[in-house]
Amino acid sequence: MTTLLVAKQYLKQFYSKYEVYITPLLKFLLAFISMLLLNSKLGYMDGINKITVVLIAALMCSFMPMNFIVILAALFTLLHLYAFSLECAVVVGVAFLLMFLLYFRFSPKDTIVVILTPVCFLLKIPYVIPISMGLIGTPASVISVSCGVIAYYMIHYVNENITVLSGMADEETATRFKIIIDGILNNKEMIVTIVAFAVTLVLVYMIRRMSLDYAWTIAMVAGALVNIMVLLIGDLMFDTNVSILSAFFGTIVSFLLTMVLQFFVFHVDYSRTENVQFEDDEYYYYVKAVPKVTLAKPEKKVKQISVQKKNRSTH
Amino acid sequence: MLNEERVILMTKLASYEANEGKKNIAIGNYFRGDYIGWQVLKSIISATIAFVVVFAMYIFYDFEVFMMDIYKMDLLEFGKNVLILYAAVVGGYAVISYIVYAYRYNRAKKSLKLYYMNLKKLSNMYSNK
Repeated sequence: MTTLLVAKQYLKQFYSKYEVYITPLLKFLLAFISMLLLNSKLGYMDGINKITVVLIAALMCSFMPMNFIVILAALFTLLHLYAFSLECAVVVGVAFLLMFLLYFRFSPKDTIVVILTPVCFLLKIPYVIPISMGLIGTPASVISVSCGVIAYYMIHYVNENITVLSGMADEETATRFKIIIDGILNNKEMIVTIVAFAVTLVLVYMIRRMSLDYAWTIAMVAGALVNIMVLLIGDLMFDTNVSILSAFFGTIVSFLLTMVLQFFVFHVDYSRTENVQFEDDEYYYYVKAVPKVTLAKPEKKVKQISVQKKNRSTH
Repeated sequence: MLNEERVILMTKLASYEANEGKKNIAIGNYFRGDYIGWQVLKSIISATIAFVVVFAMYIFYDFEVFMMDIYKMDLLEFGKNVLILYAAVVGGYAVISYIVYAYRYNRAKKSLKLYYMNLKKLSNMYSNK
């Protein structure tokens, strides 16, 4: 445990020192991975299904604001779908447009979840999202997570039904529209997943706000259990064919991942070096403010655990 | 001479201005009514666009049936229903955005209070030197 805590302190120090490079690098990696996954799932347009294009796009994302990744990913999806079939692109485009017009207008802080959710789905660890958002977000994050789930299932639907969709090329446009809209809206698995994620997120949020010892850990365990339960109930009610085994193991892996994230990311104050400039009548000031990081002795750090737990419970 | 205390305070203020204070200062330039009104107006416009898009999709979804029914149905009644639905959707959305932006305005003002207090402290430091 002490080694871990020392590692955590070291990470903190490292981040505060090199924040200027680390944040763009992380943005670059996120953009790169999501674009690659998107291309592997939907690579219909040859023009953007190239590693060079992905690299350039990801590099652009690394110095743009976080939300730029979301916009770029939406654009990539629409271009791929347009190359596949115009109707698909229109339906998905309308869904994206509604999300942007109605929800992202509020510029919520957790927009990035919309891209993280499909990425986690493709990496087979979707249950990380509701548990972690319950830990760091607010109940309003339910909307962001739901948008992410919808985005994933739209891509999934097109991907699963390629033969059906390309087989109806000689049908009328209106009929094709109808089939695509029906396919996306009547996806019971999507609805069950949205409900399960929403319930999990709100429950995790409520428990971690309680003034209990170990509130965060209890919240995570309860969230994981409820997630499985809702998925099972949904399976029984709507016959969604959710694979119980993969849901079970997926939840366990997600739970462990969230534990790691919680230890190293969520509850740590990653303050960074600030470079600011200002002036008064006499001077120009170019100040570099470096946060104080105390690398205390291990004995002292054991004491720090209990301090943190108190903090957690009061959160 | 450099005054250390003053530099520290100025650094803190500059860092606030560059980071979390940026948005708050922009909000603080508005009067409450102006800020919320402007945001609600923008919400109404985007809700209208969204409604039009969804309505167009709805018509197009059942285009043939709709075209066959259009001679039979009471267009006045249909239009009235659509308008009521539009008013409900846009009204509901406007209320939600009013609540959100009123909350944000109050939060920004609260955060700016401390900032202005520190600014005052800084200007006192200069006048007392």
